[in-house]
Parts: sequence; C-alpha cells; structure tokens
Amino acid sequence: MTEDDIDRLDKTMELLNKPLVKNSIVTTISLGMFILTWWAVSILANLVYIPTPWEALDALVRSFVEVDPNLGITMWQNIYASLRRFVMGFVLALALAIPLGLAMGYSKTFELLAKPVVEVFRPIPPIAWVPLFILVFAYFWGPIMVIFVGVLFPLLSNIYFGVKSVDPILMDAARTQGASRLQIFTKVVFPYTIPFLMTGIRIGMGIGWMCIVAAEMIGVQGGGLGYYILTQALTLGLYDRMFAGLIVVAVLGLLTTGIMQYLENVTNRRMGIR
Amino acid sequence: MILEIKDLKKSFPKKKGEMVAIADFDLDVDEGEFVCILGPSGCGKTTILRIIAGLETQTRGRILLNGKEISGPGSDRGMVFQEFALFPWRTVRRNVEFGLELKGVPAEERRTRTEKFIDLVGLNGFEDYHPYQLSGGMKQRVGIARALANEPAILLMDEPFGALDAQTRNLMQKELLRIWSETKKTVIFITHSVDEALYLADRIVVMTARPSSIGQVYEIKWPRPRDRASPEFAALRKQILAQLESMVMVEE
Repeated sequence: MTEDDIDRLDKTMELLNKPLVKNSIVTTISLGMFILTWWAVSILANLVYIPTPWEALDALVRSFVEVDPNLGITMWQNIYASLRRFVMGFVLALALAIPLGLAMGYSKTFELLAKPVVEVFRPIPPIAWVPLFILVFAYFWGPIMVIFVGVLFPLLSNIYFGVKSVDPILMDAARTQGASRLQIFTKVVFPYTIPFLMTGIRIGMGIGWMCIVAAEMIGVQGGGLGYYILTQALTLGLYDRMFAGLIVVAVLGLLTTGIMQYLENVTNRRMGIR
Repeated sequence: MILEIKDLKKSFPKKKGEMVAIADFDLDVDEGEFVCILGPSGCGKTTILRIIAGLETQTRGRILLNGKEISGPGSDRGMVFQEFALFPWRTVRRNVEFGLELKGVPAEERRTRTEKFIDLVGLNGFEDYHPYQLSGGMKQRVGIARALANEPAILLMDEPFGALDAQTRNLMQKELLRIWSETKKTVIFITHSVDEALYLADRIVVMTARPSSIGQVYEIKWPRPRDRASPEFAALRKQILAQLESMVMVEE
C-alpha cells in the first residue's frame, strides 16, 4: 500500500465512524437482511400465502395506480377511509379526555366520582367492543367508536397523571404571587399538563392505529385498510395484495409515530423541558 | 413596625395529643430591616416563613402586616424559594411578569414595569431564556426579580441560596445586599448557615430546637460589606455555632 492508499483508507474510516453515517449503514443492513430473509422464506416455504418481496412491491405500486377490479377503489381511497375514521375517533376521544382528565386530577370529588367507572372500563380491550358498537352505532360510526375507546384511556391516564404530578412548589409560588384557584389551574396546572397530553397522544396514536385496522376487518362500509387486507386474503386469495396492504399499514404507522415524536420534542422544548 | 408576629403556635395532631412544632414565637420587624432566622434543620423555620406567606395556617397567634391581620397568601408578600420554583415553560421575562399578569396589567405596562427588575438583578440580555438554560445563581436572580416585580411590602426568602455552590452563594449574598440597599425592602431570610446570617443580617434570630421558639437575638451593627475574616466576625460565628450545637445535642 502506498501512503496515498493509507490516507484514503483513513478518510474512509473517519467517514464510517460518523454517528449519522454509521447509524444509516446499520439500519440499511438491518432492513436488507429482513428483506433477504423474507425472500428466502417465500422461496423455501413455497407457500401461496407468502409472496416474494418483489411480488409484494409490484402489487403495492399497482394498488396505488390502478383501481382494484374487485373493490372498485384505489389504495388512496382505502387510506383516506381509514385515516378519516382514525381522525374522527381521535378528535372525539380528545374532546372527552382533556376536560375529564383535568377535572379528575384537579378536583378530589370528581376523582372519586369518575375513577371507579374509568377503572372498570379501562381493562376491556378496545376490539372487544366491536360487535356491540357495530350493533349500536352501525357500520359508519361503529369503527370510529372503537378508535374512540382505544384512544380515550391512554389520553385520560396521561392527562390525569400530568395534573397529579404538578410540582406543589409551583402552585405555592403562584399563590404567593396572588393567584386565585382558577388562575392556578389555567396558568400552572394546565401548561404543566401539556407535555403529558402530548405523550398521551403519541401512545394513543399507536393504539388507535391498531384498533382501526382490526375494527375494519370485522365490520366496515366504504373501504379501509383493514377491510382491504382481509378481503384480499380471505375472500379473493390475492396474497401479494394482502402484503401490499400490510406494507401500507406499517409505513403509515411509522409516519404517524415519527411525526408525533417530532411534535412531542418541539412541545417539550417550548414548555421548557429539554 | 411593618410586621408583627404575636404568640405564634403551630402544632400537628398525632395519635395521642399533638406534636408542637412552634410555640411562643413573637417577633417584630421594622420597615427596611434585614432579619435572618437561623436554626438547626427541622426546627420549623421554614414553617414560620410559610405561615407568614399564608401558605400554611397557624394553630394559634396573629400575624399583622402593616397593622392588618393576614389570612391566606397574597401578593403583598413576595416569596423566594430554595428550589427556585420558576415556571419552566415561561421565559425569564414571563416568569417575572407572572404576578402582574394575574392582576390583569396590560402587556405593554407589564413589560416596562418588569424591565427594571430584570435590570436590577442583572439579567438583561437573558429575557427570552427558559429556566433550563440558566445556571442556579441566575435562576435565583429570576426568583428574586419575580418576587420584587409584584412590589410586595416584605420579601420572604426561604434558604434561597441553599441549593447553590459555595462560590455562587457568596456572590449572590453580595448581590442580594446590593438589591436590598437599592429597593429598601424589608427582608426575612431563613438560613441554617451562621456565616450567611452574619454576612447579611441587621438582626439574627436564633431558633431553639423543637418546640421551636426564639432562643437568642443578635443585633449586628457592623457596616457592610462585612469581612468574613475579621476577628469579631469569627468570634460571633464561634459563639452562635456553639449555641446551635448544644441544641442539637439536647434534641438527640
């Protein structure tokens, strides 16, 4: 090796040791190995249910650009249908969880009143509600209500916990500054709770996403990703399309969590938590 | 006389009878005076300050501020906490403005009125920083500015420099004396450091062990700034330390 070669090797090593470069290399290797394993399994098992990654990718691309001949809609419309349910259920849950969680945390009477009921409903898996909700709320509101209960409890517990963990010394400080009980609530308790609310939203998003896909498999009207996956697999036997659906669910799940993580960090910085 | 504490008692109920934390505590504080309350840990000195602030209620006795009996917390008494107790989501300026905001003072006026207190504590240039970006000493400067911005009749300080390192602590003591001489505020300052009390106070009130009452009162007439290395400083320090030590022995 000449000195030039050694120099070049040094520079390469230096680049490889940078954290960002290093991490992306490891991530690429990890994903690459996953795809290779999938490929190997699909060939070795030789099952009709497991297409090769290539077949899945092909079905994925086609699902976006072509109208599905059996469902009459594209993947975009399925995504839209799922996201719409997701957002509606989420907004409903927020609208109830924020006032309820704040009230439960701040008022002892309200806590005693509401907590037993919450504790009874909390352990019920959201999916267990599907049959009842389909019967009561029918096919449009049913799946939305499943999201609603799925998201409600993580939101509620985080907000309640946030109010409970307000540093008493901050309330003392506000009182010595002349704050009324209402002002302590609006200017100390509420802002203190915001980062907890953000954590609740992030956790709720993960749970809500699982709920909507599951709920759509059981009863749905007008498309949706869960419905898409189930129909392709069990009704039509188009397993490459089923895998395309799985990939879409995974990517959207990653995206929502990633966006939320970012928003949570931004909020924490704004709220003075490093 | 700006503050009168008469026959103060604080006790907590126990299974049998009561635990008396403070008893027979009487204290008069003059306008503009700097009083240090000094005592062994667990002697209830913080409780006394919290009662004056209205954050806790006494079992017996009366506290008069400018002749009027106090009940509950109010902005006429500014409090500075050992833990700083700043609102982490508010910038320096908005922490200092907090009291005026509660009173509904318009934003423009809040800004001009708090500006001078931010200057006074030496924090200009840091108005838009969040507390987590500040050092301990700077955080407590915010705490002092926030308490003063309400223009209280009296400043209550609960071991305000207890969480600071020795060097910062000495600097902050010096700064506090400057702020005190500029604002002419009456100060009640809680500490367990004899050194700190001797450096700061016009009067040192030494507390006894539980049930706490006033043990001994020292008028310190030395001019400021005081020299911690002077013989009379050292002699009085030794005397008070011995007194505190004997109380700890009794307690154990």
